[in-house]
Amino acid sequence: MSEIVLKVEDLHTSFFTRAGEFKAVDGVSFYVREGETFGLVGESACGKTVTGLSILRLLPEPAGKIVGGKIILDGKNILELSKKEMRAYRGSMISMILQDPMTSLNPVYTVGDQIAESVRQHQHIQDSKMVEDQVISALRLLRIPAPEQRLHDYPFQMSGGMRQRVVGSISMSCYPRVLIADEPTTALDATIQAQYLALFKDVQKKTNVAIIFITHDFGVVANICQRVAVMYAGKILETAKTSTIFKAPKHPYTIALIHSVPRLDRKDDRLYSIEGQPPSLLNLPPGCRFAPRCPDVMDICREQQPPEVEIEEGHSVSCWKVK
Amino acid sequence: MADILLEGRNLKKYYPVTKGLLQRTIGWVRAVDDISFTIERGKTLSLVGESGAGKTTAAKQILLLEKLTSGDIFFEGKNVYKFSKAELKTEYRPRVQSVQQNPWSSMNPRMRVRDIIAEPLVVNTKQTKEQIRSRVAELLENVGLAPNQADYYPHEFSGGQRQRIAVARALALNPSLVVLDEPVSALDVSIRAQIMNLLKDLQGQYNLSYLVIAHNLATVRFMSHSVAIMYLGQIVEYGDAEEVFKHPLHPYTRALMSASMLTLPEDESEEAQPIILSGEMPSPLNPPPGCRFHTRCTEAQDICSKEIPGEVEIGKRHWVKCHQSSLR
Repeated sequence: MSEIVLKVEDLHTSFFTRAGEFKAVDGVSFYVREGETFGLVGESACGKTVTGLSILRLLPEPAGKIVGGKIILDGKNILELSKKEMRAYRGSMISMILQDPMTSLNPVYTVGDQIAESVRQHQHIQDSKMVEDQVISALRLLRIPAPEQRLHDYPFQMSGGMRQRVVGSISMSCYPRVLIADEPTTALDATIQAQYLALFKDVQKKTNVAIIFITHDFGVVANICQRVAVMYAGKILETAKTSTIFKAPKHPYTIALIHSVPRLDRKDDRLYSIEGQPPSLLNLPPGCRFAPRCPDVMDICREQQPPEVEIEEGHSVSCWKVK
Repeated sequence: MADILLEGRNLKKYYPVTKGLLQRTIGWVRAVDDISFTIERGKTLSLVGESGAGKTTAAKQILLLEKLTSGDIFFEGKNVYKFSKAELKTEYRPRVQSVQQNPWSSMNPRMRVRDIIAEPLVVNTKQTKEQIRSRVAELLENVGLAPNQADYYPHEFSGGQRQRIAVARALALNPSLVVLDEPVSALDVSIRAQIMNLLKDLQGQYNLSYLVIAHNLATVRFMSHSVAIMYLGQIVEYGDAEEVFKHPLHPYTRALMSASMLTLPEDESEEAQPIILSGEMPSPLNPPPGCRFHTRCTEAQDICSKEIPGEVEIGKRHWVKCHQSSLR
C-alpha cells in the first residue's frame, strides 16, 4: 500500500466571536495516502470546508483559530511551521480548488498570468520562457485545448467548465502532493461534472497526488473517492471504504442520509427524511451531536459523547449503538 | 381522456442580439425554440436540462413574465393570450403561482412572515384582516410550521423552513398550478427530502398540478408523472416519467442519466461505465444545423448534421427526436 502523505490528528478549530466560541471542527482525525482520493461528506456548516482551510492554515484571522491537534504532512507537523515556512509549503506541497470558478479567478488578468503567479511565487522561477512552459503544461494536464492560445484568454471568455479547469491548472501547476478540492463540481452542469471527474481521475493517475474531496453529493463520492468520512456538526461520525459506506453503513446519520437521497434507478413513493435540523455550533448537545435527530436514540446518547470504535479494518464509527 | 389543465403549444422565445448605437439586431438567441407540452390536473410535469437549455424561460412564459415570440398557452381549454387584462387578473394569475429556487432571495427581508404570506391575499382578494389572519395560520400549519411563527422575520428561519414559507405563499390563493423552479437545489440533502415529501403531500391534498424545473434527474423521478428532457431550447424526449426513466432513448437522456447514476468505483460492469460527453452545449445564438445534439452525440451519423430529426413516437405517450430511433 502506498505511503500516507497527510495525517490529521484530533484537529480542533474554533471561531471566536462576540456571541461565543463556535466549535467548527471538534476533534477530527483522518489520513490520506499517495494517489488516493479521500472524501469528506456532510451538509452545510458541518465543518468540512473549515477542515480544508485549517490544513492550509488559511483560516480567516483573527476569528478563526486552530486550538488543538496535529496536521502531519510528510512527517512534519505543519502547525509548528512559521508563517514563512508555511508559505513555501502552500502551492508546492498542498493546494486547494474552491467551489466557484467565477469568484476564485481574477477577472482582469489572463488565465496564463494567474497560473504563472503561482509558478513564480512557489517555485521561484523567474525566467519567463520557463514559466510559460510550465503554465502550458499545467493547462495541458487539465486537457484545455490549444493551451498556447488559451493562456491569453480572460476568464470571461471561457465557459464554466473551462474556468474550473483553469482553477485546477493553478492548483496543479507546482505538482503538489496533496490537493484539497472543495466542492469543485457543484457549480457545474451534470454532463460537465462527469467530464471533470473523469479528468480528475486522469490527473491523479499521472501525478499520484493525494486528493481530499469535500462534497455534499453522495453521487460524486461514489464516483471518485476510495474512502470517505461522514461529518456532522464538527465531528466525523463514520469513516470507511466508499463501498462499505453505501452497502453497510453503520451510523444512523449515514444510513438516514443515504436513504434520503432520491434514486434514479427506482421510483420511490416517499423519501426517508431526517426531522429537525443540525444543532447550533454555539450550543452543542453534551452527548452525541446527532442524538436530538436520531431515530435510535438511547439515554446514554444524550449524556456522553460516543467513542470512535473500529468495527473492522478501515471502518470506524462513533455511535453508542454500534459499540 | 386525461384532464388537461394547461397546454403550451409551439412556444418560442427569441431574444434579439443588438449591436452599435442604433441597436441594430444582428441575431437572435433562441432560448426556447418550438416546444409543446401538456400539464394534467393533479399531475407533475418536469422540464429537465442543463443551464442554457431554456427550461427557466419556458417557465417564465407560463407565468406570463416573458412575452412569447410565438405560440399559444391554453389554460383549461382557453387561450391565455385572448384573455383581457381583467380576466388575467381574476382567471389566470391567481391560479398559477410559483416557488423560486433560492429561499434566501425570494422574500423581502424586512417583511414579517405573516405579511409575506398574506400579500397575495391582500392584492387579489377583498378578505377582512381577520379572515387573512386565520388563512395565514392555516397555511403555516399546512406546510408544517407553527402559526405563532408568523411574526418572525425570514432571517430567523433555516433554508428548509424558508422554502416552506415560500410554498405557503404560493398556496395562499388556492392555485391550480404551481411552477416550482429548482425547489430543492439550494437546500441540504437531509432537508431536501422533507420538502419533496411536503410538496408531494400537498399535491395529493389539494389536487395541485406542478411544473417542475430541475436539473437533477433523481429528484425529477421522485416528483414527476411526465418528463420533458430539454437541450438547447428544444425538447428532445418527452413522455411518461416511468417510460422515459426505464427506457431512455435519446443519447442525451442516456448521458444525463448516466451522469446522475450512483456507481461505485469498483463496479466494473458494462452498464456502470459512465457515458462521458465531449465538449459543451453550443451557443443558442448559433445552434448547429440538423440535430442540435450531434456535435456531442456518441452515436452521431452523417444524417444528424444535415436533417432536423422529427418526433418519433415510441409506445404510448413517449416520443423522441432522434434519427437513430426513426431508423430503427
